[in-house]
Amino acid sequence: MLKIQEIREIIKLIDQSSIQKFSLESDGGKIKLEKNDGQAVTTVTETPQTPQAAPTPVQAPAPVAPAAVAAPAPTAAPEAPAAEVVTDETLHKITSPMVGTYYKASSPDAEAYVKKGDKVTAESIVCIVEAMKLFNEIESEVNGEIVEILVQDGQLVEYGQPLFLVREN
Amino acid sequence: MKSPVKSELLKRLFAAQGEPISGQDIADEFGLSRTAIWKYIKELEEEGYEIGSQRKKGYYLIDAPDLVNQGNITEYLTTERYGRIIKYFTTVPTTQTIAHEDAQNGAQDGTLVIAEEQTAGKGRLARPWTSKANRGIWMSLIIRPDLAPQYAPQLTLVAAVAIVRAIEEVADIQPVIKWPNDILINGKKVTGILTELQSDPDRVKAIILGMGINANQQQSDFPEELQMIATSLRIEKGEMIDRAQLVAAILKYLEQYTDLYVEKGFAPIKILWESYAAITGKNIKASMVHETVEGIALGISHDGMLELQLADGTVRGIYSADIEIKN
Repeated sequence: MLKIQEIREIIKLIDQSSIQKFSLESDGGKIKLEKNDGQAVTTVTETPQTPQAAPTPVQAPAPVAPAAVAAPAPTAAPEAPAAEVVTDETLHKITSPMVGTYYKASSPDAEAYVKKGDKVTAESIVCIVEAMKLFNEIESEVNGEIVEILVQDGQLVEYGQPLFLVREN
Repeated sequence: MKSPVKSELLKRLFAAQGEPISGQDIADEFGLSRTAIWKYIKELEEEGYEIGSQRKKGYYLIDAPDLVNQGNITEYLTTERYGRIIKYFTTVPTTQTIAHEDAQNGAQDGTLVIAEEQTAGKGRLARPWTSKANRGIWMSLIIRPDLAPQYAPQLTLVAAVAIVRAIEEVADIQPVIKWPNDILINGKKVTGILTELQSDPDRVKAIILGMGINANQQQSDFPEELQMIATSLRIEKGEMIDRAQLVAAILKYLEQYTDLYVEKGFAPIKILWESYAAITGKNIKASMVHETVEGIALGISHDGMLELQLADGTVRGIYSADIEIKN
């Protein structure tokens, strides 16, 4: 992966040269530069090397040209999955059916729907995911025991993101 | 629940068809004082009945409130499915809980649960909602659109557009929408929507659209702490509105726009929503569970997410937050 200083150096060199387009791939990182009527366009693509590291958004260095292109920052970097538990493939994952905010209880004062170690049935409500004031009560879908809660109360969760691990009966 | 004496009073007032009935006779019959009867009459007036009194002759009915019962709503109803089954209650803790259970028990698409009064109305995160008897519209609609659950949240914006259209049509007032689906008039809240989803992993089973609409309240009907932030259609328009007619109009637009969304996606709804939105270009404070951000509202994304431009120029997408308009 390219270091931020290296990217900055490359931009400087390209900017001073007559090169209009430039791309470089090294160590799973990819950089693409394009000059357009004196305006620099920078795209940095990263390929995460190891699954345990959550990708850190790279702030594109300020190009020499005045029109800065800010890399769109993801709203929230997904939490790194709890790698040591996920490896147990026999566990059932309860995933989020939509993008939204994860709530462990029906209201801030109420008790959590489930705790680690709780027994659940397929119809048990395990949490709420909310988006735009639509509240989705998530059901366990399997009979078993909650062995891991993978998200924090109030966290933004992605579509398909694992929320719980359940050991099925 | 109405007391038996009050129900009897009401029955006789209706039966007399505007002719006076003797309070003394009823008092004697039930072994009560005339003052007790007078108190029941006052309670009926509180509920919206207009009752006159004539010396020596008694009480007579001038006008009955515009109840949101099946008969009154159906008179205006033009829908195919929504509101074709109506469960009407005088008073309930909350229509949402009843609708939830009905949906679980297989209630048909478009079933409406409506009440004259809620004693435990609730909003987002179980916040209480004031639901005065016979004044507002307190209802929960069960719908079963053919959608995957990740496309369900946009229905809260569909609902906001439908209610605004209905208010425009029936009350001739122009409300605005505050993201995602609060409805305001002159900066004060006139409608709240709470939507709950029952789903399989890949299919929506039922959506329960809970709606609270401040229709015919007067200023004094709101608790003091709400008077600065809540209003009603009656306060804004200066006259009573026909609640049953408004319910029928809301159901009409809800059916129309839900079908439009299911068939054509969010794009046409986005245009409608933005045409009523109160926030584009405004300075917004968005409070989430773990953080608060401020920025200029750019509008909504192709899937209804609020887009805020922060001070550093980056654009932040908001899926769930409490929104405060700063200017």
